[in-house]
Amino acid sequence: MKRKFHVVAISIRIVLNNFGDYNRNGIMYVLKENEQKVKDLVKKNPFTPVDLVQPLCIRANVGDEVEILFENQIHYATGMHFQEADYDPQDSDGANAGFNPSSLAEPGEKITYTLNVNHEGVYMFTDLGNPDSSDQGTNINGMFGCLFVQPRGSWWTDPVTGGPINSGVYADIHHPFLPSYREYGWIFHDEMPTRDVTGNSPLDPMTNQERESTHAVNYRYEPMENRVRLLEEGVVSPDGHGEEVHHDSWVFGDPATPILRGYRGDPVKLRLVHGGVKETHVLHYHVHQWSKDAKNTESEILDAQAVSPQSWYTVQPHYGLGSLQGAIGDAIIHCHLYPHFGVGMWGINRIFDTLQDGTGCYPNGEPIKALQPLPDRPCPPKPTKERPGFPNFIPGKLGCKAPRPPLGIVGGRDMTELERNAAVPNARPGAVFVDPCALADNPVVQEFNVSLIQLPIVYNRQGWNDPIGRIYVLDEDIEDVLSGRKEPEPLVMHMTANTCVRINFTNRLPEVVGGSAFQLVTRTYETGVHVHFVKFDVLVSDGANVGWNYDSSVLSGETIRYEYFADVELKAWFFHDHLFANFHQQHGVFGTGVVHPRFTKFLDSKTGEEVDHGVQITAIHPLIPDYRDMVLMVQDFALLYDKDGCPLQPPDFPGSQDDPGLFGVNYKNEPLQFRLGKDKDPAYSFSSYVNCDPITPILHCYEGDPIRVRLLQGAHEESHSFNIHGLRWKAEHPDSETKFRDQQHIGISESFTLEMDVPRSGDYLWTFETEEDLWNGLWGLIRAFEEEVDFLIPLSDREPPPQRTTALPEPTGKPPEKAKIVPSPGPVNAAVKTFNIVAFHKPITYSKWDERDPFGIVFALEEDVEDILDGKNPEPLIIRANQGDVVEINLTSKLQFDQFPFPDGIWPYPPVKEQAFYPPSVRISLHAQLLDYDVKTSAGETVGFNPDQSAAPGEIITYKWYVDNPVGACGLWDMTDIRNHRSLGTFGCFIAEAKGTKYLDPSTGEEVKTGANVVLRNPYLPDTREFVLVLYDGARLVDKKGDLIVDPVDAILGGVDPEDRDDLVDTYDNGSRGFNYRTERLINRLREHPVLKDLFSSRVFGDPSTPLFEAYPGDPITIRLVNPSERRRAHTFHLHGHYWNNDDKDITSEVRSVEGEIVAGHAVDLPLHYGAGSLYQYPGDYMYRSGNIRWDIEAGMWGIIRVHKSKQNHLFVLKKKNKNENKI
Amino acid sequence: MSHENNIAGMNFPTVNVIHDQALVETFVEGIGKNIFILTPSYPFVFIGKLVDVIEDQAVVDVKVTSISELENRQWFIHIHQIEVYYIQQKGMPRIPELKTNF
Repeated sequence: MKRKFHVVAISIRIVLNNFGDYNRNGIMYVLKENEQKVKDLVKKNPFTPVDLVQPLCIRANVGDEVEILFENQIHYATGMHFQEADYDPQDSDGANAGFNPSSLAEPGEKITYTLNVNHEGVYMFTDLGNPDSSDQGTNINGMFGCLFVQPRGSWWTDPVTGGPINSGVYADIHHPFLPSYREYGWIFHDEMPTRDVTGNSPLDPMTNQERESTHAVNYRYEPMENRVRLLEEGVVSPDGHGEEVHHDSWVFGDPATPILRGYRGDPVKLRLVHGGVKETHVLHYHVHQWSKDAKNTESEILDAQAVSPQSWYTVQPHYGLGSLQGAIGDAIIHCHLYPHFGVGMWGINRIFDTLQDGTGCYPNGEPIKALQPLPDRPCPPKPTKERPGFPNFIPGKLGCKAPRPPLGIVGGRDMTELERNAAVPNARPGAVFVDPCALADNPVVQEFNVSLIQLPIVYNRQGWNDPIGRIYVLDEDIEDVLSGRKEPEPLVMHMTANTCVRINFTNRLPEVVGGSAFQLVTRTYETGVHVHFVKFDVLVSDGANVGWNYDSSVLSGETIRYEYFADVELKAWFFHDHLFANFHQQHGVFGTGVVHPRFTKFLDSKTGEEVDHGVQITAIHPLIPDYRDMVLMVQDFALLYDKDGCPLQPPDFPGSQDDPGLFGVNYKNEPLQFRLGKDKDPAYSFSSYVNCDPITPILHCYEGDPIRVRLLQGAHEESHSFNIHGLRWKAEHPDSETKFRDQQHIGISESFTLEMDVPRSGDYLWTFETEEDLWNGLWGLIRAFEEEVDFLIPLSDREPPPQRTTALPEPTGKPPEKAKIVPSPGPVNAAVKTFNIVAFHKPITYSKWDERDPFGIVFALEEDVEDILDGKNPEPLIIRANQGDVVEINLTSKLQFDQFPFPDGIWPYPPVKEQAFYPPSVRISLHAQLLDYDVKTSAGETVGFNPDQSAAPGEIITYKWYVDNPVGACGLWDMTDIRNHRSLGTFGCFIAEAKGTKYLDPSTGEEVKTGANVVLRNPYLPDTREFVLVLYDGARLVDKKGDLIVDPVDAILGGVDPEDRDDLVDTYDNGSRGFNYRTERLINRLREHPVLKDLFSSRVFGDPSTPLFEAYPGDPITIRLVNPSERRRAHTFHLHGHYWNNDDKDITSEVRSVEGEIVAGHAVDLPLHYGAGSLYQYPGDYMYRSGNIRWDIEAGMWGIIRVHKSKQNHLFVLKKKNKNENKI
Repeated sequence: MSHENNIAGMNFPTVNVIHDQALVETFVEGIGKNIFILTPSYPFVFIGKLVDVIEDQAVVDVKVTSISELENRQWFIHIHQIEVYYIQQKGMPRIPELKTNF
């Protein structure tokens, strides 16, 4: 079917909420038919939001041809670039890239884009005519929208009228034989320039400083700061403080942000899209869970999803609205990053239990718009006086805080008559309006008495501490924890599937917290337990105060009962406070419960006694293999003081959300600055011989034991990158047909179960790998013993470990010796592939604009060193071997202390928090991801009580890696000095290829040993072009005059207000970036030719300095993408006009053209569907690039894949399997 | 089953038919005994009493499976969909009794 849309880009005033906050320079896409209407409405309503001012969402079906007539009414050239679609880049790319003709529309002109939509999902569109990241850019001001592609044969109606619609963020989607569903467009965006109703920069009434930047959904946000002003003025809720009521509709009425409406049980597809420019947000959707990949029924279950700029997910809640238990009420949906949540990035999913025909009202008299029932579902009952339905049975009082729930609070109230009519027959504390535990016959009941207490917590041996740590503890542990007999740790409760969990929660916090360097005096007088994953009654057990629900928290000294049902084996369910979370979650207010398989027993790993809580336990099961279980909860914004009481990394003013404080994992950290040892050599920072074991968690197990690492983030705003060196797990925990990973991006509230065996004894390093995290102590060990120890019981289903014959190692203060023998992990007859690698100083030229790193350090094969020293501009080392090969690495260092830029030991840029002396190491090492090796000899790092694995100048260190699986791209990096080496280039890539593969130079056809661009030839596979992209983001470059380039600030096309220059970016935003030691910063192009629309054009500037990859139409292509270095800001990768399976090992996985959440350690393989030019094999230039407008694209993180129509002399034609001739 | 012998060089009954029938007979012999079954499809695990075999379907009075809502009822399980089974016999290991002891 052919669908046509006439889309106009218009300038428009966007009013973001009912308080009149607005963006006067808004830009939006709108259908031509609505253009005049929306302009008129905005003119008439300059201070209130207008419904039609929303991101444009249009729809089509799989198999459709979509024709977009795009009309540009902006005063410079703009366009619409569509992700996911098949199109001819010559006329429909919506960009002006490479040698393609421009497919942007000039001001006042029109252009037609023709797209074919061949898979379901979100086809996001954005402008690429103006890639400026400043406030003058287009994306930041609203120029994004979506084409939602539905199953073939679908049609859609307006949820209010039931009539047809042409656009809109909400629609009901119908199909001849699939269930109808509600489709909710949920488009996060950030950084939109915003003024308050008076035209000034919005202020935070609590701090009197400018408030956090705008974080919005669908052009709306509901800042706490606005609502608090009404409290301060005494307009509403005189007893309220602020944060605890800021989602409360009883106090404020409904927010301006999206309210997604449906009836209990309605199927839903929530289209989660990131239309913004900078942050990686985490969507959390209360009450509901969904499969990570909706196409894969065995995929991981999520209830929180990180999403990076210009990427998307389809969230399809299991069991429809209200989940399995059929909850009704308001389920809040929000970005879990607290500063964003606080500033208004949230909305509500309102689940009605009675029919809304347009005649009803909310308790404040606001009419409830009609909502058509889905045609294939039973019609809900009409509201009656006795049974008015949600929310009208709740005995709230307008302008006052929501009432407390009935029954749940000890000594609290009974139900009113209306509540009794709405309640389930066996209403009881914590389960009043639905009965989650009735889902099973007589389930096991497990009760926990939990309190929230305040106490000082010491994070490390140097005395860094949080004087007002706040943690959940079991009541029976309170005395032991307060007296110091038990170390404070996050509360981890253990239970099995099919358990009815009852939490008796007591608020034992002081009611008021005094002011400090970090925070202002705050009255945190009520708290609760908000829980993820399990099934519960959202009205009374949400532990929150949301919309028209009850306030299910308690005052100081009170106790409340919550009830949850853990229906199936889940992972770790996160819990935290939802009332003052923004204020105190970073003090430690988080914990978790782990739902194990049914019939599991939990034992203390040391004594073997049965336990029901603890961060590290041993799990015994009669059928499945026993395992060790460890929880790691990472936190940022940890508000710490040093031992003398001086605040560490305080913000500019108390109450600021601008990245205060430091980091922790399970309330501990082990900063590298304290681990230099006597020799002051960073190479031994992780060695327990030099420095004793870290204070951070060490998971104990025996060689061969299965382990499950439960990874969660408890606080507060930032992305982290978890890596385990030397181990790997299947990406989707329940599905054995997924790819291997050894790294996982995590944002707050996400939870992952990483399941694996520990094949050999030794110390395995786990890290949060980004430079600033690792520097500040986010690392620890997994220690596998080969002989028995008296503090670890053996697993009951494994052979007991041999009796101890040698004493356990002890710290010596000295670096360890090297291993005498490096055993080969592969079979004895495996082919051995040897690489002699040298690390040496070599200036690297990063671009044709003469931007360079004069202090570069590169890895290279011994045979290539001379060429490089003679002037060949180096590329990152990229080496390959095949499945079945043993790889022998002989690494040597030619580093010299006086060749480093900062031999004084203070590395100023790119910066990290808590700068300290850390002199350069002249030793070198090479760590590889995902391969099989003995960590005692070949992990490429000197960790724990393992032998030395680094090479001093003149020495050779040997590693042996076995390629047991064709795992594809593996990052390589140095681990001897993360501060002085990585920014200079000490990284590369290893690729584990299929057995029997040869690697050919794409120009000559000769076999090669290294290189980013090769042709893979395998007797059983088609010739495939392999393009390797080593994405880096922490480089330190100088310009042609030798002046330091301070990226990203120096790269911003629209310039930076000098006043903002120093605090525009966070520490981890700093550094130059691009691919493969190359960058193409747009600012250079703009200076030479100041025309925004031409910045990606090769006709104007020639090709970019970043890798240019070439192919012929239809050539099979696999992209290998790794990010070995090094900052914490997560990136998105997007390739124009092509798509791939999101899991290369699972052919039924979702098809996408974006890869998000890329942080240090990310490694992914992208075999493109249909090869070069995609399905229709269109020749032309296809951009590959970051999706982050702030601050990647203009800072040089983009390049081109060129698909040639005609044969080129420098590019040989791939061999066809069934024909000897090629048509070119 | 009626097949002409030796069509296209194949002898009937084929080895697959013999194999399938032997499996069915093993189940028939196990009627009345406790059984443990793993299948590749949901809900993956069945523990209970083998009460009957109807054609190539095992009828199992399931006491335990992976989730409690599906227990305490008779399941018809296609014998050839079973990947792993164990029929409890005297002198051989007992199938673990799975109880949650709270």
